[in-house]
Amino acid sequence: MKRSIFSIILFCFVLSLSAQEKKPTIMVVPSDVWCNQHGYMTTFDNQGSVQKVPDYKTALQSDADLLLVIGAINTLMADRGFPLKNLESTLKSIEQRMAEDNMTVSKTSGAELAESPLDRLRRTAKADIIMQITWTVNTTGPKKSITYNLQGIDSYTDKQIAGAQGTGDPSFTAEIPVLLQEAVVTHMDNFCFQLQSYFDDLVAKGREVSVDVRVFDTGEMDLETEFNGVELTEIIDEWMNANTVNHIFNKSDASENYIQYEQVRIPLYKTNGATMDAESFVRNLRTYLRQEYQIQSKVMTRGLGRAILVIGEK
Amino acid sequence: MTIVFLSFNLFSQEWHYEINCAGTGVQGTYLVEVTSYGKTVDAAMAQMKKNAVHGVLFKGISGKCSQKPLAGKAEVENENKAFFDKFFSANGDYEKYVIDDQNTNMTVAKVGKREYKVTKVISVKKDMLRKDLEKAGIIKALGF
Repeated sequence: MKRSIFSIILFCFVLSLSAQEKKPTIMVVPSDVWCNQHGYMTTFDNQGSVQKVPDYKTALQSDADLLLVIGAINTLMADRGFPLKNLESTLKSIEQRMAEDNMTVSKTSGAELAESPLDRLRRTAKADIIMQITWTVNTTGPKKSITYNLQGIDSYTDKQIAGAQGTGDPSFTAEIPVLLQEAVVTHMDNFCFQLQSYFDDLVAKGREVSVDVRVFDTGEMDLETEFNGVELTEIIDEWMNANTVNHIFNKSDASENYIQYEQVRIPLYKTNGATMDAESFVRNLRTYLRQEYQIQSKVMTRGLGRAILVIGEK
Repeated sequence: MTIVFLSFNLFSQEWHYEINCAGTGVQGTYLVEVTSYGKTVDAAMAQMKKNAVHGVLFKGISGKCSQKPLAGKAEVENENKAFFDKFFSANGDYEKYVIDDQNTNMTVAKVGKREYKVTKVISVKKDMLRKDLEKAGIIKALGF
């Protein structure tokens, strides 16, 4: 009897955990402009072309003002119901994980952990919403002021969803950290209201995601392949039309090898009450294609907001 | 840009005030310059704190460090009329959200035959106000 009661309680607990809402992660990062101006950039060879990317680790280790600003924003956002992922801790945990992965081998065969080039590329500090911060110190004679720009960007739709900009009052005496703290405090409420409007919009009109459909280069099938006289592209369009909230989606580009859907409004919740994200939405498409047309495909994700379905094989 | 609102008082039964940003207050507060109107200086003074809280809640603050109204939309006041009638009553809760430094200078001007306007800088504890109204279910909590 006791055992069955315990089992029921455990089942309910697991069920409640699985139905909990997935929350978007938010992280504050210095903008590329700020990193470039302060010399916190690093270069890498992207197949022959040299690219500059921000070096967050050096920036955090060298710039006390940056730590102050990120700390102040983290505190104020958490206080307003938006807990943030900490950039410094995230970078540390990535390094720790990389070190552990390098040392991990199988006890029996000595095999190392499987890792594709894509896995390595994806192991960077990321969040669903990036709060990108830039500030400049303006000096006019003995007076100093701060121009502050905070942008909230949805990482996967690349849209700016909130922003706060302005120049504070010039001061003869205040130190730069004090002016920075003041700028953060002044602009945070308006920023949070905009962020809240964005979340309210999600609740009302569905979550906005991007969906890409690609084709594996097997030569057996592309998006113009016909099934019962209907092209695969049309089949996917029809499914999107039937499964998006208010039929809202934008087919921004397409060819026989890829389709790009943007502003795809998906329901917030699945039928079982769990949260729907881009991956689960595209998994439904994958299931439909396999069951109705025996098409094999692979689902890849880019966070909560973007998923890629690759047609042809797994 | 000045926000003019009608100030609720015993004489006119209307809200009549102006509220502007007066700089960055200490964390958790708004520093506002409030101009209250009344048939006497005392009447205008008596309305000062109410006007400050009302402005922060429903009108927002204009000026260089402008802020949106805490309540989000003006309809919140009418939708919760009973709550706010009590809140802004003579011994209502509004008073605990205001820091009124008696040493701060105020300006008084006679603007009509029987009307005075009094301007003063005061602090409103906006974080505390927001949290209490969220707890009371009057305004929607921020967050996911």
